[in-house]
Amino acid sequence: MAHSHKHEKPVETGPKSRLISLVAQFDDPHALVVACDRAREAGYKQFDAYSPFPVHGIDDAIGIRRTRLPFFVLAVALGACVFALFLQYYVNATDESPIFPGYKFFISGKPLFSLPANIPVTFEIIVLSSAFATFFGMWILNGLPRLANPLQRIPMFRRATNDKFFLVLEAKDDKFSENRSRQQLEEWGATAIEECHEDLTDQKIPAGLRRAGILLLFALLLPPALIYRVSGMTYRQPRLHVVPDMDWQDRYNPQTRGPNIGTPERPRPLFADGRAMRKPVPGTIARGDLTENDEYFRGYKTGTAPSESQSGPYAAIQDGMAAPETPPEPEWVDVFPEDITVDADFVKRGKQRFEIYCVACHGYDGNGEGLVNQRAVSLAATGDAAWTAAKSLHDPAVKSQPVGRIFDTISNGRATMGPYKDQIPVKDRWAIAAYVKALQKTGIKSPADLANDQGTATPAGN
Amino acid sequence: MAASVDLSLDNTYEDPSRRADLVLGGMTYGDITDNVAEIWEAGRPPTAWYIVFGIAVVLLGILGVCLLHLFFMGVGVWGNNNPVYWGFPIVNFVFWVGIGHAGTLISAILFLFRQNWRTSINRAAEAMTIFAVVCAGLFPGVHIGRIWVFYWLFPVPTEHLAMWPNFRSPLLWDVFAVGTYATVSLLFWYMGMVPDIATFRDRAKTKLQKIIYGVLSLGWTGSARAWHRYEMAYTILAALATPLVLSVHTIVSFDFAVSQLPGWHTTIFPPYFVAGAIFSGFAMVVTLLVPCRSLFKLERLITIRHLENMNKIIMATGLMVGTAYGIEFFIAWYGGVDYERFAFINRAFGNYGISYWIMVTCNVFIPQLFWIRWFRTNLVAMVIISIFVNIGMWFERFVILMSLTRDFLPSSWGNFYPSMIDILMLIGSFGLFFTLFCLFCRFLPIIAISEVKNVSPQTLHAHGHDHHEEHATAH
Repeated sequence: MAHSHKHEKPVETGPKSRLISLVAQFDDPHALVVACDRAREAGYKQFDAYSPFPVHGIDDAIGIRRTRLPFFVLAVALGACVFALFLQYYVNATDESPIFPGYKFFISGKPLFSLPANIPVTFEIIVLSSAFATFFGMWILNGLPRLANPLQRIPMFRRATNDKFFLVLEAKDDKFSENRSRQQLEEWGATAIEECHEDLTDQKIPAGLRRAGILLLFALLLPPALIYRVSGMTYRQPRLHVVPDMDWQDRYNPQTRGPNIGTPERPRPLFADGRAMRKPVPGTIARGDLTENDEYFRGYKTGTAPSESQSGPYAAIQDGMAAPETPPEPEWVDVFPEDITVDADFVKRGKQRFEIYCVACHGYDGNGEGLVNQRAVSLAATGDAAWTAAKSLHDPAVKSQPVGRIFDTISNGRATMGPYKDQIPVKDRWAIAAYVKALQKTGIKSPADLANDQGTATPAGN
Repeated sequence: MAASVDLSLDNTYEDPSRRADLVLGGMTYGDITDNVAEIWEAGRPPTAWYIVFGIAVVLLGILGVCLLHLFFMGVGVWGNNNPVYWGFPIVNFVFWVGIGHAGTLISAILFLFRQNWRTSINRAAEAMTIFAVVCAGLFPGVHIGRIWVFYWLFPVPTEHLAMWPNFRSPLLWDVFAVGTYATVSLLFWYMGMVPDIATFRDRAKTKLQKIIYGVLSLGWTGSARAWHRYEMAYTILAALATPLVLSVHTIVSFDFAVSQLPGWHTTIFPPYFVAGAIFSGFAMVVTLLVPCRSLFKLERLITIRHLENMNKIIMATGLMVGTAYGIEFFIAWYGGVDYERFAFINRAFGNYGISYWIMVTCNVFIPQLFWIRWFRTNLVAMVIISIFVNIGMWFERFVILMSLTRDFLPSSWGNFYPSMIDILMLIGSFGLFFTLFCLFCRFLPIIAISEVKNVSPQTLHAHGHDHHEEHATAH
């Protein structure tokens, strides 16, 4: 039989179209179920029923197997559960990762990751993912959406979504033979039968659609191409700032002229002195600015200060690199001020600060052989730099200095050495001074001493 | 066939020997399709539709202007203050999201319970859900202040912020719950509508209609294999939506219950919020469907029995809500915490006492009228009662929120007064809701045509037959 229908087909359909199915109409769902039953009994396998609503009992009549959709949804749901828990752990309980690090939220001392607090979001993510899996899974399994369906060319078939019921026998079924199948459908109670043809003449994509498709393809290429072009580029303009937030706020900088609150013709400054900001009220001192105690803050006995221009950083700046004339000096303190208690911890602190600020030039042992000094001396030797070599702290001249003088050197600098009072707090400067004093007591010899020793020792040794 | 049945047959009387018909007037399948599709096919909708739509669009315009004003000026245009940081936006949010819940209850929970009467009302109720969730999402969405960085709500890695949302915060749970709810409701609604959109496609007259409905129907033909998977998917979505709808209002109630404020820190909040949500949602369905069925001549599909069933649910959930109000007071007294006691006495007799009594009157006393059959079956009466219920449920959220004005320390007490923008935005949100609903009525199938056919007397009759035949052929 299969042979004969293959023989018939080209004769029946002609070159322009091909018969793909017979469409039979039924008037009520009951008749459809009965017809489906008969079709299955007659050995048809490739057929389907169409109805405006799901007809009770049709699955058994056609022999539709139960869909696997629930298992697919279950798999997605389990995956979503794992993903949701991982997401929450990752973003709220970790803070290290190669890309987009998490952020540890410490809130009221609660644990970073606790299941009860993470259940709501986990649940919602499971439901959301499962709903998507159900929705899209159903359409994919049904082979929808579909751009065109030959069945919809049959006017009668439009009532499949209204009030009629259809049985469609596919021509590709082995049992299909046009005349016999038509006869069978009539026997089973079909009220109308029509042929469904596949149009073979019109299978090309319309030219306009194709052109639009190509254009769209190029349009899709544009964003990655642009990103590729700008990747790694440098710009002179500031970045586009779409959301200004509070990144720029109107304000007046300190030490600037204040606004004009009058008219351009008759200007009136905000403050009488024209400044944008007020000076402190006379007699007030800002926190941390009370530095009355000369011994503690400046290292000399109260009332023995020389005039400003003769010492301190100003003098150092004015004198530049030139070897300074010995300026007039105050009477340095030779014991630590009362506010300081020198003990092991204090000296340790001094050592630590010394190794941060001083060793670059003075070296770990205080002999003036720090790396910066070595390099600068070698440059000075070739005339590439002006440099007064760092002093050895074991030089007898330094050794004999009172502690107040060492404190002053750290604070205000000497010769090439700059002032450190802006970098190092007062107490730490005293700690460094204490450490320098301790270093000097170790008996390390200065290079000059060593040279002297050698000068005297060599003849004796020989 | 049932063609001889009188159209005026009352299906509200219980006859234990047979199930009441859900479609009256002996409608055939074709009649049902025509009845629903006529609304869409009509050259112009009824005049009343134009009036409602016109008013709704004006209100929507007011909402739009208020939103622009808000975006440019900041949230200071509201009456929100210290201590009432949330104000109207959260009241409106909870109000609208609660209304949405009835739609999911009808479409999912009643489906799982095989309540066939849901088929006539589920489409409109689901549409109402989505539009209500749109209104609900609007308020917290604009309450964040800097709406242009709204994406900080989601776990999106941003270089600017360099941190993630806090997943242990009820406010973040809200983002996930409401977002999931809106998405799943939309999927459910659309999927349920595809066979009916295919019906519209097959009746479309103009080219534009053919294209739009052709695309939206995704090539649906009603194949038995497709129906099989479709029904399975519908059941799974219903099974997913059922716990989801309970979780959403539970999480919304966590916004309050997880905090330490007297009057908020209670475990009764989740069930009490869910009951209140269903209560207000059903009231909104009644408010919408009674005019719809008259306007679009759907009396034979949305019968008095459908409306009566909904009114019974309103009464039942109203009693639950009333019980919850009572239990709150009992626990406040029984718990023995001075602050709780004060919070509840203040609720009834304090600075916002009047709102409390509006709430109790509208939510507990007025729905009791539904014990009387006349109120359950009279169209005007049920609409008035359902509007009262919605007023009451809005005030319920307002009353809860006003707990903020009287917390532990008298020094931190304050009062809240809404600004004009607050009030206009509340009214404007109704404009948004009704605009969307009017458009839905005009352009989409407002009744689930295929589902109604499935439970119409014609099918049920055929099914009986069918069973018989099947047996006969099997043996």
